[in-house]
Amino acid sequence: MPSQEEIYQKVSATLVEALNVEQEEISPTATLQGDLGAESIDFLDIVFRLEREFAIKIPRNELFPESIFQGDPDFVLNGKVTQKGLDELREKMPFADLSKFEQNPELTALSDLFTVQMIAKYIQRKLSA
Amino acid sequence: MRLKDQVALVTGGSRGIGRGIVKAFAAEGAKVAFIYKGSQQAAESLAVEISAAGGLAKAWQGDVANHDEAMKIVELVEAEWGSIQILVNNAGVIRDGLFVAMKPEEWNVVLQTNLGGTFNFCHALAMKLARQRKGRIINISSVAAEHTNPGQTNYAASKGAINSFTRALAVELAGRGVTVNAIAPGFIETDMSENVRNKAGDLIKKMIPLKRLGQPNDIAKAAVFLASADAAYITGQVITVDGGLSLGAVAV
Repeated sequence: MPSQEEIYQKVSATLVEALNVEQEEISPTATLQGDLGAESIDFLDIVFRLEREFAIKIPRNELFPESIFQGDPDFVLNGKVTQKGLDELREKMPFADLSKFEQNPELTALSDLFTVQMIAKYIQRKLSA
Repeated sequence: MRLKDQVALVTGGSRGIGRGIVKAFAAEGAKVAFIYKGSQQAAESLAVEISAAGGLAKAWQGDVANHDEAMKIVELVEAEWGSIQILVNNAGVIRDGLFVAMKPEEWNVVLQTNLGGTFNFCHALAMKLARQRKGRIINISSVAAEHTNPGQTNYAASKGAINSFTRALAVELAGRGVTVNAIAPGFIETDMSENVRNKAGDLIKKMIPLKRLGQPNDIAKAAVFLASADAAYITGQVITVDGGLSLGAVAV
């Protein structure tokens, strides 16, 4: 199994190719949409490339869940993710770092969870599973 | 040469409008892979004709309505010539007849070939073009999508769907530098339009302000433009090439 550092390097290289960005723009906390300009088709491309790079299968909606809350009022109220919603996030995305998001859980900020580090952590879990 | 060294794939390329597009692309320097279903002789003669003119084109047999075949052909063409940059979805059939008497098979074959074939080849190529961050998709529609005659519910539906599909796909691929456009031909002098032309006779010319039927090359020129660097800023459009037919004027 590759080391954490090796996984991170490979994830970075994958993002450079998929998003057509410079290596310097990649950092652990860089967000895919906000910082690296990813659009919906890019998320699919990233998934395809990671599958090939790490020889793994990534089920749809596992790494980048599209509509995790399905408009359920238990999960989201007045544009904010509820405690129940946060629990759901923790369960569905155990590889994501929620510490910052929890402080102000605006639904619109959900995409900020998708960072370079999040992908690397997902891959680590996947490879060690 | 506006398409020098680019690899193009044209479906329904052995006859009619497709044949015109294959010839025009080859004359502009593209390597052209074209698909034919049954017209082997026409396909072979076209490849020979283009070769004699100093161009490069190769015929591939396949049914555009079959997704697996589309995937396979794309793979084989790329193995031989490298990445494809231009896709023209031209293959189309008609099964005209009044709706009340239309058989489900007549509906299905038209939708599966015209719309399904367009889906199949776009599906086989979209991600590849997106990854290249460069590509042109040109779907051949028809004025019948908007201005239709009795007996074409299946054909009109397939072409209307192609127009909507063109716009929807254009939005998805634009961020990756891939443009998706359609051309809507009017009455073009091909085998496919022969029946209608025979029935309508001189009336057709009265309906066309430019006073002549279109030739495959009229459509091919628009296709070359959309495939070329000149059209880099055009996407999601349906370009009508019909001599003014769709303006609805009748000469008096």
